[in-house]
Amino acid sequence: MTNDPSALTLTAISKKFGGLVAVDDLDLVVEPGALVSLLGPSGCGKTTTLRMVAGFETPDSGQIRIAGEDVTRQPPNRRGLGMVFQSYSLFPHRTVAENVAFGLRMAGASKQTQSDEVRRMLDMVHLTGREDMFPAQLSGGQQQRVALARALVVNPRVLLLDEPLGALDKALREQMQFEIREMQQRLEITTLLVTHDQEEAMSMSDQIAVMHGGRILQLGAPNQIYDRPETAFVATFLGTSNLFAGTVMPHGYLDTVAGKLPLPGPTPDRSHEMFTPGATLTLSVRPERVVLGPDAASLPQGLTGRIIAASFRGSYAAYRIALSDSETEITAYRQADASLGQTGLSIGQSISLGWPIEDSVIVTDAEPQE
Amino acid sequence: MPKTAHVSARMRQALLLAPSLIFLVVFFVMPLVDNSSRSFMTEDGSLTLARYGSFLSDRFYLGIIVETVVLSAAVTAISVLIAYPVAYVLVRKAGRLSGPIIFLLIAPLLTSIIMRTYGWQVLFARRGLVNQWLVTDLGILDAPLRLLNTPGLAIAALVHVLVPFAVLSIASVLQGVDRRLEEGALMLGASRFRTFFEVTLPLTMDGIGTGAILVFMIANGSFVTLVLLGGGFQTLPLLIYQQFNTTRDFALASTMSTILLVIALACLWLQLRLVRRQGA
Repeated sequence: MTNDPSALTLTAISKKFGGLVAVDDLDLVVEPGALVSLLGPSGCGKTTTLRMVAGFETPDSGQIRIAGEDVTRQPPNRRGLGMVFQSYSLFPHRTVAENVAFGLRMAGASKQTQSDEVRRMLDMVHLTGREDMFPAQLSGGQQQRVALARALVVNPRVLLLDEPLGALDKALREQMQFEIREMQQRLEITTLLVTHDQEEAMSMSDQIAVMHGGRILQLGAPNQIYDRPETAFVATFLGTSNLFAGTVMPHGYLDTVAGKLPLPGPTPDRSHEMFTPGATLTLSVRPERVVLGPDAASLPQGLTGRIIAASFRGSYAAYRIALSDSETEITAYRQADASLGQTGLSIGQSISLGWPIEDSVIVTDAEPQE
Repeated sequence: MPKTAHVSARMRQALLLAPSLIFLVVFFVMPLVDNSSRSFMTEDGSLTLARYGSFLSDRFYLGIIVETVVLSAAVTAISVLIAYPVAYVLVRKAGRLSGPIIFLLIAPLLTSIIMRTYGWQVLFARRGLVNQWLVTDLGILDAPLRLLNTPGLAIAALVHVLVPFAVLSIASVLQGVDRRLEEGALMLGASRFRTFFEVTLPLTMDGIGTGAILVFMIANGSFVTLVLLGGGFQTLPLLIYQQFNTTRDFALASTMSTILLVIALACLWLQLRLVRRQGA
């Protein structure tokens, strides 16, 4: 534990099923007390990665360490982990209290310890008084809380959450996101979360690892991933993005189908070679960064277009704009103006648009080294 | 208009059901009722329970009932013990082989019971194949074993026929057990062994129950196997056969048939309760 401060370390993990590569040379370090999400579409390898950490799958190569200890080949019951499954997986033939006490009983805890701990955990997840109910008598959210209590009661070294909120409806999901995050931070429990829901990942994580094709494409804090996506895949998987692919021209411009667009300057992670004239790049612009109307006049892109679709979404409105002189369409969000109750733009209207240069991000192509 | 359509739809259903219903009533229900009613009537046609009284107070006959039930229970226990691992492998490990395994399980049921039992005779007779291997081919034994007409062989033959029923009942329930439940137990520190006894086994008790009742019922009524392979058992079906064919005491035979029927109905009732609890 002393020579390895991280709670969970995956080193060069690979796993194949038949000829199919599920996880490809993956490295990940989770610091103590942090919540890291593995986020990606189905088939990206996130679940396989979690199952290898849990011990249900053995990696073909690589090493998994928990608190410094090599557990790569340890059976799941010796790893000292807690896990919450999407389907809750509560034992249907046992009461709430028996479910929560299960891990303690397996560890040989005394009856007294069991009942004390069960009471404490059920109190923490606001289920006091339901000890003798069976899982089938509880609502989905309550079952999820029991599952959480059952996983946490044994003081796991790492908590694994496998799409824990996937089976809940939207309102409850948001509430549980806050609850789990709050509890995780209070108990300072190292957590690995697997999800395909970007909102869930963003609202709960210290760090998000966006996965695709068995690899981590980008690892970083939620705002970092959102504001500075490195690849077109990350830019479009997390939120919406307008992508402009083109060829670099002299003096910092990109020649795209939408026209000549100014490039942002080099940043530490965007080397100078990328800006060599003739190189191909993609520019990503978030819809909420697109400025519409007269305010766009001072912006360097000098684009004009026609609104072809609009949809009101409560706190903001989304517009689809067809650019003049090209086939390109752009998505733009605009905050709903409280005083007008409307955003004041109508379909068919011609409009000028642009964005501050620093709000555009250079991304590489989606498929890395394939 | 919709009402007539509804009525004619019901009529059509009734018509479709009629042939099988008539067949069952004429060839199953009526003979059964006729047979049972004989046990409740005296020679001159008045109602009586005397036969049941004397049958159930006779130690010999009570012994027969006990022997029937004990034999069936033994066959049931052995069948379930064999069937559970088979069902487990079938559901959890076989993968693409599960089709062939199911075929192998069901294949014996597709051959006539006479053929199957005769097969056992060919294999295990004094000069049968098994003894030939043991004595002549392998030379392990000096003299052939007496296998036919032993209780062990009769039980083995019954188990052989009945194991598939137990396997299929257990497998169908095991199929429905969420593997995440077992994984959940493993995550909480239970060994594979404990996981089985804490989670898998309790959750498959319904399958074991259904399979056991099924096997027990069929074993209770089994007749051909015991007639052909012997084993010295005296069970209700054998005695009924004797009464009908040798002693020609139809009334006593009917009494015993009815008792056998009651045992079967009790089993069916148990099974229904199990199924209903499963559904709840």
